[in-house]
Amino acid sequence: MSTASMSLRDVGRRYGATRALAGVTLELHAGVTGLLGPNGAGKTTLLRLLATALPPTEGQVRVLGLDPGTPAERTDIRRRLGYLPQEVGFPRGFTAFAFVDYVALLKEWTQPATRHAEVRRVLEVVGLGDLGSKRIRAMSGGQRRRVALAQALLGSPPVLILDEPTTGVDPEQRVTLRTVLAELARTSIVVLSTHQTEDVAALCERVVVLDRGQVRYDGSVTELVGRAAGRVWLADEPDPAATVSWRTGTGRYRNVAMQARADVDHVEPSLEDAYLLLRGGAAESGSTVEASL
Amino acid sequence: MTGWHLDDDALRRYVDRTDGLADGASVEQHVMSCDACRTRVNGAVQAEAAIDLAAVWSRTRDAVEVPRPSVFERLLRIVGLPPHEARMVAAASAFRGVWLIGACVLLGFATLAAVIGNGRGLWLFLAFAPIVPCLVVGSSYDPRLDPALEPELVTPYPVLLLILLRTIAVLALALPAVVLLGLVIPGLAPFVWLLPAVGFVAVVLAASTWVSPLRAAIATSCVWFLVVWRLATRAGSPETVLQARGQVVFLALAAVCFAVFVVRRRQLRQLRPWR
Repeated sequence: MSTASMSLRDVGRRYGATRALAGVTLELHAGVTGLLGPNGAGKTTLLRLLATALPPTEGQVRVLGLDPGTPAERTDIRRRLGYLPQEVGFPRGFTAFAFVDYVALLKEWTQPATRHAEVRRVLEVVGLGDLGSKRIRAMSGGQRRRVALAQALLGSPPVLILDEPTTGVDPEQRVTLRTVLAELARTSIVVLSTHQTEDVAALCERVVVLDRGQVRYDGSVTELVGRAAGRVWLADEPDPAATVSWRTGTGRYRNVAMQARADVDHVEPSLEDAYLLLRGGAAESGSTVEASL
Repeated sequence: MTGWHLDDDALRRYVDRTDGLADGASVEQHVMSCDACRTRVNGAVQAEAAIDLAAVWSRTRDAVEVPRPSVFERLLRIVGLPPHEARMVAAASAFRGVWLIGACVLLGFATLAAVIGNGRGLWLFLAFAPIVPCLVVGSSYDPRLDPALEPELVTPYPVLLLILLRTIAVLALALPAVVLLGLVIPGLAPFVWLLPAVGFVAVVLAASTWVSPLRAAIATSCVWFLVVWRLATRAGSPETVLQARGQVVFLALAAVCFAVFVVRRRQLRQLRPWR
């Protein structure tokens, strides 16, 4: 096993009687891996396991070749980890600079001059270089999300775990953040969970689709999109044969179906189409979707 | 053009203006006739100017962006905590709001006790004074009051050290305050609250390995109120609790609970550490 990787072997996690994850086996390397799945699919639980915020109840997790179950190795992992949780609370009265500076202290940046320079760098990276002294409470939702992302980027960590990093962020900033993450992913393992399929399509070379705590798809984005070829078409009316169908801005209906159609006005499938197809199949036939596609 | 050139030390002294008058004049004479050394001097001077500019800009931004330490943080530094640890302790939201509320509640009951007099007022003070520190410690780790807990958790900073630092900070500030307030209460030694308060903080720390710290603090407070109420209705005098035998019980309670906390620290509930 390469040390510059993360791996999960038959990992499961229960919360009491509820099974959030079951039998997850993954090997993650440098690059951006996107996690897709409906609410409650287990994405956040998986990210928390990788971020050492939560132990698995079954299976084995290794991060950079280290065992997070051993206290010394867990601390070592945390030195090389950036983590953006789904929800970040900010201490009352803190400015953006003060919050990131506080997390930098916890990450062992004890020298004020280098710490302050690093805090400024990450705030610049997320486009908040001029807002360091602004109180977080007075910021917009997107700006707060970027402050939270900034703390995860401290020290350009080799492992970056991001839970919905672009929620509430405007399109212009999302493009900027994609550039930042793509640059970081040249040498780092970046795992991000999102509901934004366009972020995954633009940024990730690999996508993992989770559903009800299990991996439904693990492969390249292009392969997943390719599976929807011939199954997406536009029509003047919603097609009863379609798995999913919705009215587009042009007034025509976009139909996505499990079965390929020959006599229709086909369009280029998107990752969203492919994801919906995968999800639609899951709803119809449980775990046999991948085979049926 | 000459056959020799300035060595690095001479160049550095000349640029820094730390050479003597004669050496400086000599270097200046040489530089006027040597293109290579003139270029090196120019480069060194420009680099120095650039570094200075960067440093000045950095200091300016620090003055604007780096938040000034709060009164509480400055107090922690005065009592000897390194600046970065003082910042980590002071960052807990509990020290901003709950601490103030706790101190106000305590002051209110002290005043009430003084107004009511030596009987029921003392029981009231006895009921509330020792539990203020444990309530503040309990609220230091509640996610509703310290919402930054999740990012805190996955940093290399030892959770146990953070807990102990905050606890010690609470005790360092709460206990002298309680003692000072005790001074205005007639009829009791001001230090009699110390051991009960320490004992309850230890109970909260130990109980935090089973339930959330805030729940532990609330449960401890309820039990203490019950004990005080029973003693007040039976014994009739607060002296019963505060006799040497009672103080030994609180000391033993503190020692046992702290030992339990250290042994079971990996099971801390609220901070959700790795089990």
